[in-house]
Amino acid sequence: MCNFSGKLIAWLDHELPEVEAVNVEWHVQQCAECRQSVSAYQEISVAFLGCYMGCYMSCYTGTMPARPARNRWGWVTAACGIAAAILLAIALSRRPVERLAVQLPPPPPAPMMAYERQVSEKPARRVPRRSIPRPQWTPVEPMVEIAFPADAFFPPGAVPAGFSFIASIRFQE
Amino acid sequence: MSGDSVRLTLPLSRFAATNREATTLFGELRKPLLRYLACLGLSPDEAQDVVQDAFLSLHRHLTAGGSQKNIRSWLFRVAHNQARNHQTSYHRRFGDPLGPSTELPPDEATPERALLEKEKFQRLSVAIRTLTESERECLLLRATGLRYREIGEVLGIATSTVADTVDRAIKKLAEKSNV
Repeated sequence: MCNFSGKLIAWLDHELPEVEAVNVEWHVQQCAECRQSVSAYQEISVAFLGCYMGCYMSCYTGTMPARPARNRWGWVTAACGIAAAILLAIALSRRPVERLAVQLPPPPPAPMMAYERQVSEKPARRVPRRSIPRPQWTPVEPMVEIAFPADAFFPPGAVPAGFSFIASIRFQE
Repeated sequence: MSGDSVRLTLPLSRFAATNREATTLFGELRKPLLRYLACLGLSPDEAQDVVQDAFLSLHRHLTAGGSQKNIRSWLFRVAHNQARNHQTSYHRRFGDPLGPSTELPPDEATPERALLEKEKFQRLSVAIRTLTESERECLLLRATGLRYREIGEVLGIATSTVADTVDRAIKKLAEKSNV
């Protein structure tokens, strides 16, 4: 590397004392490597200036590079994830609840009418009406109860007061 | 109140002179200051506010009889320090690669040339990200047209340090962007 390589940029920027600047200028005319470096530094300086101006222009013409968009939903997702993890951890750490073995009575037999209705709602598997067992019940005939006071049949004091005899009477043809 | 009165002497001639100076400086340095602040990452509104505050400070400084030496670097230093207060957006511009929307100087003759320039521009933008904060600031102030001595005054570092930093930054950019 050339001894003057550390002074080339300062020389380009006119920041060297006059005597030193003359020396560097003379050297650059002689040294191809330094000429190439000077050319590269000039190009970089111009490009940086262009970048600088472009940055300014983009800022003041409204085409400024956008600020990296903050992921507004990122924290919501993270919070949901954390909440879900906490709930899962709680659910897993909880002991299983000992349930009381309740012996439920067997369910009462469904009424025939309901069964009949259920069956009738399924036309494809409709059971013929004749085969359905109908409940067997006999009609109860009307009954009349007549109360006879006990005083009417026994002498006074033989039965406690207020006693009466009840007779059930059925009428049949 | 007593009958004694305090005589107020207003240095009107000096006030007018400082006003003129401040106005002249405003016309001369407003744009370079705005450019520098924009490149530091301030939004246009923030940059305008900072520039106005800087010139207000300059006016107070001159009115109070402050030193008129190196006013240019003094203004840049005030603006730089105020920009530092906007740290949230400080690295936004040169910290991030410039997007495709960033305008290039429109001096390309052919599409091929424009493409090459754009690629070079993007390489340089990526290379700028590798610079340290001090290197970036030195290069920005250099691009503004400040001398090494003035850059040193703005950043509060020695002139020789500025020379070294600029040298290092330019060489780094040349190496990284394959120029």
